[in-house]
Amino acid sequence: MLVKRKTHGTSGEARRARHPAIVAGLVNQAIDRRTFLRRSGLAVGGLAAAGSLSLGAVRQAEAGPMAEGVAVETRKNICTHCSVGCTVIAEVQNGVWVGQEPAWESPINRGTHCAKGASVRELVHGDRRLKYPMKLVGGQWQRTSWEEALTEISAKLGTIREQSGADSVFWLGSAKFSNEGAYLYRKLAAFWGTNSVDHQARICHSTTVAGVANTWGYGAQTNSYNDIRNSKTMIIMGGNPAEAHPVSLQHVLSGKELNQANMIVVDPRFTRTAAHATEYVRIRPGTDIPVIWGMMWHIFENGWEDKDFIASRVYGMDEVRKEVAKWTPEEVERVSGVPGEQLKRVAEMFATQKPSTLIWCMGATQKTVGTANVRAYCNLLLATGNVGSEGTGANIFRGHCNVQGATDLGLDVTSLPLYYGLAEGGWRHWARVWEVEYDWLQARFDEVPAKGGREGRDRKANMETPGITTTRWFDAVMLDPEQVDQRDNIKAMMVFGHGGNTVTRMPEVAEGLKRLDLLVVADPHPTTFAVLGERTENTYLLPICTQFECSGSRTASNRSIQWGDKVVEPIFESANDYWVIYQLAEKLGFADRMFKNIEMVEGKFGPEPQPESVLSEINRGGWSTGYCGQSPERLKAHMANQGAFDLVTLRAPRDAADVGGDYYGLPWPCWGTPEIRHPGTHILYNTNLHVKDGGGSFRARFGVEREGVTLLAEGSAPMGSELTDGHPEFTYGVLKQLGWDADLTQAERTRIETQGGANADAVSWSTDLSGGIQRVCLEHGAIPFGNGKARAMAWNLPDPVPVHREPIYTPRTDLVAQYPTRDDFRQQRVPNIGHTVQKTAIEKSIARDFPIILTSGRLVEYEGGGEETRSNKWLAELQQDMFVEINPADAAARGIGEGQLVWVTGPESGAKTRVKALVTERVGRGVAFMPFHFAGWFQGVDQRAKYPQGTDPIVLGESVNTVTTYGYDPVTGMQETKVTLCQIAAA
Amino acid sequence: MLRASLTSFAKGARTALAAFALLGLAAVLVPSDVRAQSINPTASAVTEEQLLQALQPGGEIAGRVSIPDQKATGLIKPGGQDWRAFHQGTMLWITAIALLGMLAIVVAFYAVRGKITIDSGMSGLKILRFNSFERFVHWLTAGSFLILALTGLNLVLGRYVLIPLFGPEAFAAATQWGKYAHNYLAWPFMAGLVFMLAVWIKDNIPDRTDVAWLKAGGGLLKKGVHPDAKKFNAGQKGIFWSVILGGAALSVTGVLLLFPYLAGGYADWQLVQIIHGIVAAVLVAIMVGHIYIGSVGMQGAFDAMGSGEVDFNWAKEHHSLWAEEARRKQGGASAGTPGARPAPQPAE
Amino acid sequence: MARMKFLCDADRCIECNACVTACKNEHEVPWGINRRRVVTINDGTPGERSISMACMHCTDAPCAAVCPVDCFYTTVDAVVLHSKDLCIGCGYCFYACPFGAPQYPRVGNFGSRGKMDKCTYCAGGPEADVTMAEYEKYGANRLAEGKLPICAEMCSTKALLAGDGEIIAEIYRERVVTRGYGSGAWGWQTAYKETVAI
Repeated sequence: MLVKRKTHGTSGEARRARHPAIVAGLVNQAIDRRTFLRRSGLAVGGLAAAGSLSLGAVRQAEAGPMAEGVAVETRKNICTHCSVGCTVIAEVQNGVWVGQEPAWESPINRGTHCAKGASVRELVHGDRRLKYPMKLVGGQWQRTSWEEALTEISAKLGTIREQSGADSVFWLGSAKFSNEGAYLYRKLAAFWGTNSVDHQARICHSTTVAGVANTWGYGAQTNSYNDIRNSKTMIIMGGNPAEAHPVSLQHVLSGKELNQANMIVVDPRFTRTAAHATEYVRIRPGTDIPVIWGMMWHIFENGWEDKDFIASRVYGMDEVRKEVAKWTPEEVERVSGVPGEQLKRVAEMFATQKPSTLIWCMGATQKTVGTANVRAYCNLLLATGNVGSEGTGANIFRGHCNVQGATDLGLDVTSLPLYYGLAEGGWRHWARVWEVEYDWLQARFDEVPAKGGREGRDRKANMETPGITTTRWFDAVMLDPEQVDQRDNIKAMMVFGHGGNTVTRMPEVAEGLKRLDLLVVADPHPTTFAVLGERTENTYLLPICTQFECSGSRTASNRSIQWGDKVVEPIFESANDYWVIYQLAEKLGFADRMFKNIEMVEGKFGPEPQPESVLSEINRGGWSTGYCGQSPERLKAHMANQGAFDLVTLRAPRDAADVGGDYYGLPWPCWGTPEIRHPGTHILYNTNLHVKDGGGSFRARFGVEREGVTLLAEGSAPMGSELTDGHPEFTYGVLKQLGWDADLTQAERTRIETQGGANADAVSWSTDLSGGIQRVCLEHGAIPFGNGKARAMAWNLPDPVPVHREPIYTPRTDLVAQYPTRDDFRQQRVPNIGHTVQKTAIEKSIARDFPIILTSGRLVEYEGGGEETRSNKWLAELQQDMFVEINPADAAARGIGEGQLVWVTGPESGAKTRVKALVTERVGRGVAFMPFHFAGWFQGVDQRAKYPQGTDPIVLGESVNTVTTYGYDPVTGMQETKVTLCQIAAA
Repeated sequence: MLRASLTSFAKGARTALAAFALLGLAAVLVPSDVRAQSINPTASAVTEEQLLQALQPGGEIAGRVSIPDQKATGLIKPGGQDWRAFHQGTMLWITAIALLGMLAIVVAFYAVRGKITIDSGMSGLKILRFNSFERFVHWLTAGSFLILALTGLNLVLGRYVLIPLFGPEAFAAATQWGKYAHNYLAWPFMAGLVFMLAVWIKDNIPDRTDVAWLKAGGGLLKKGVHPDAKKFNAGQKGIFWSVILGGAALSVTGVLLLFPYLAGGYADWQLVQIIHGIVAAVLVAIMVGHIYIGSVGMQGAFDAMGSGEVDFNWAKEHHSLWAEEARRKQGGASAGTPGARPAPQPAE
Repeated sequence: MARMKFLCDADRCIECNACVTACKNEHEVPWGINRRRVVTINDGTPGERSISMACMHCTDAPCAAVCPVDCFYTTVDAVVLHSKDLCIGCGYCFYACPFGAPQYPRVGNFGSRGKMDKCTYCAGGPEADVTMAEYEKYGANRLAEGKLPICAEMCSTKALLAGDGEIIAEIYRERVVTRGYGSGAWGWQTAYKETVAI
């Protein structure tokens, strides 16, 4: 045994003496065992309270790259990567972020992180960051000043507006914005006069939002990561949370273990998530609907459906039964490759071992049938009664840190903040909140001439017409102007916080970039946009700081809103979004109007909007989604009292100081004004709770009756509601009918009547700025948005009942005649010619020349376009090469060995990428997989030299989207990234 | 080792039993008719126990890592323990025995045989045995070898012998310099080997005279016995080939140790290190003998590598065949060479 | 006295590499040095398991036994540490280590090994606790501050456990009993000559 301790040098027994005292104390006695458990994050429930011995306090002398003897401040912020919403604790010394500590008290991450979260400190040290504003002059990057850049950009925008109209500027926002940033950006676009304002949700969960909202009311995760701990059966279909949302697996695996739950992974790829499943089902990419209908076939066949639930809370399930009947086990196996017996077993588990939850991500959504996929998933949940209670639900894992919030705040071509529609009512609502004249707003919009035999639009109609999506902006640049339904093509693009390698058909994106009159990239990094197009002038890079360098709130996937405190001042010359948006508004001439009710504070470069004040404005207008109760003060109290919230229910005890009875992060809807202290809604549509405790019902969003059949719930209502049956949404008129208007205060009544004027009865729960209607509803236990049925059949969608449609580029050409993609049509101002493309592909025998299905997905070390994470040295080291996963059989047939360079070619534009082969059984035969985070190589050419000096990410690689192809969801314009065809050959 | 394996087997068996019990439980829960189509990654998860049991000696439990460092793929390499056991056991003993054993032999030999003198006494006549290049090559190799040997021995034995004497800091500093010296002097040593081979191989091909020389015990054991020998006798040939072959082995293994990033995986490194250590120990022992006989052990021997000129009588006694030839050649050559030394005269 | 150990519950580990970057972040570990790494066995097939591995702080550590300059020492918490002042970068500890823990920066004209670096169990080195001198050579000393190794503290799924061997073994045992499966306490047999009996 060599167990000994040495005392050499200046060190000695004395210095070690205090160490054993602490550590021995940590692990030897009872109290310390608890402390230990707590620090290990293993304690549950009451132990959290017992752990009041704060180990943080032990830290006197600070380690790390810290100066000895200088005070250490601790700041809480939220990880800026995925949507789980992990709390980050930053230790700051002399204004420098010197250390990261586990955030034990956060009920979401309980101290933990993934590779990305554990390395976020690097983001504010990053020497690869964009350091000052830059512009292209004669094809060379030159340093410029903020003032010069913003002045030139505004002038150019003015010229374009004059010549081509407001719609010629495409405003691409970001899921990396705070809620306040997202809201201001949407407001900026509205004041500019266009609806072409979009963000990453378009390409991640737009189809989820559309599908889910059209089913039961809201486009969001119904339950939470934590609530999955209650599930007895979970299906993860089209998602790989082990890599995309690693911290969520803490809850998933705990639930799996504690409940001995069934964890079923349905995926074409044997993912790292699948490795922990109790059942893995491999499907052919693009056959989600047949698989779901196949499960429901067994469910209906065996009578496993939840008949009571369907009867009281679901509309149109019979229509679904008719479609499902076509999907016999044989047909399902023929189309998807899944054996009937396996599917039967999975279906039985899901329907009978309840509560069951369905977890999905971009495997479901990034499809030409994305919305239909989501709708099919919802139907499975509805048929088995797995919505609206603990352990059930549509657990939709969203992507970016604030993609839920940015969606909520209206970075969407089809809506205003908080899902107020583009129709006049929505605009008038926000005009009231903003205190600007509706007519002034309308005047900001273009008039659109008639084109190609299609009608033109006046300003009002244009104001109410959805804009152009981020998946198609380059088409709107390059198409014949006759084909683009607005005054002129897109001429300028303002990109805030968005990667340039995130949309399909990159060779065409590159061409579109080249043709823009103005390109502005506002981001901590240059992004792929800076290097992809062959641009020489009129291109600006504006250094934006990360969310760690400014304060604001962000909404996690489970709708919890968390406030992040600025950790350090923006580094280099970077500025926060708030200031840049304010500057743009000012230079474009409408800052006074836009920031009328927003308090300004002194920032790094002068006056900037105060995020708390912006959130208060959101609260004042956020009734429709219950963004009204989450005041900055309440959110800050939650961050300060994270330890009070229960791990599973997310609720604080009623006697907890400041946050008593609240759900963590006041997950929306948090009804009424902040003063009435609604606790937020942990689980949507949950009739087992009083509305005041976060209960609810399906939203009566689609009317009260259709073709003589009621759309309102029958015999089902939130617990304690005075209305025990279905009812429509509340208006002042409904309130009066029920006699509940008597409960309004005089101030509320006056406000409603002033606001409504002659039409006061129509003032609704979502437009009443007094909050009185919501308050009174809650008092009576009634849900403000009405108690409706979920729609199994959504008549307003292209496929009211989802039907299988083969991918545009499918290897199963034999199935196309029976299951064709939708006919060509016009969508979001541009044509969608998917049907023609599919037909042409078959005529040209594309499937013969490109026999391998190509799908794409995420790596744990990187996020999104990857520019930021590939610039982080601690992450970049872990994934240094872009690769393609190829099945050993396919590799052998092509003479491809492990690690060898190969060309992956796509069927459009002669697209090609040069990447490393990773030969693995992870993908099935005939399927290849590529991660989507790489850029900086384009079709075999290294583009490192095109980055401004010193800002090139450490790791560069080919982008999968160079070879991905045409295909758009008919509802949202979502792109197809999950199923296309490719060929692979040794390079 | 054996006992350790048995113990681990016993423990393994217990765990395996537990695992079987769990599997049995799982089997009860899963209806038998559908098991065939089930892919249950949780149930089919690999276990450490399986992998350890299947492990071959020197093998490792390895997988995939995303970083480029392929030696990081090895997860568990129980062979490290074996190497440790060898290095701290067998290796240590071999080195100590070889070194101390040879020293003991030399001392004993000296005690018994004493210094081997020139039977016929010094002639006073010098004959050129090694020219300056040959001597340079010898001392280049010898000098670097000496440092390599001392710094090498230090790595094996210094910890036990020197740390108690000098303390850890001084020892570590010296050893650090020793490592640099070892790394850098390896190159002159290897160069010396190459030159040595080139210069002397022709004189070191074994032949019949060596058999007779060996039969006579090289004349070392008995005074007055001087078997015939050419330029190099069989003993010297043995030294030569030990140096060449041993040196080659040390060179190859040394270079591999010096460039660890080129040389295979950990098992290769271990093997290479073992070869390097054993060969070095043996060669050091041989060199102790060589140094003895070339210096204090034999009168007149050192001159060969000192001035390069040996006494003719020494040459006649130990290298009779070469001495004659050399006298002839050098006599002939020196005649026409201005400034050449006078030709040696016979002693009769 | 506490007997500190690591235990990676491979049935929880999802190869998220948080342990790796947390370590890099905490100690500013340079590119190319991996004090901790995640190895995936049977990658891509049912049966796949990932294990986070670093120095296991062995009982009777082989590295310490073979070190020619005797630079290793074991703390009262059974953490195996070493002195970079003494280390000569010979590589012997890597040959002996069953876990591939020792790392060496490439230095010099030969690209040979510099002074060895490895996981310190976040316990620093011989210098005075929580000083800059200690940090620069070994990184943070969390143990001296009453904290556990950052890799385990930040593990996304709480797969990687650190702390007193008996306690973490008990946690693991409870998990296996509750869920009904366990792929083993990876490395324990080799490092500690024991397994966690279920």
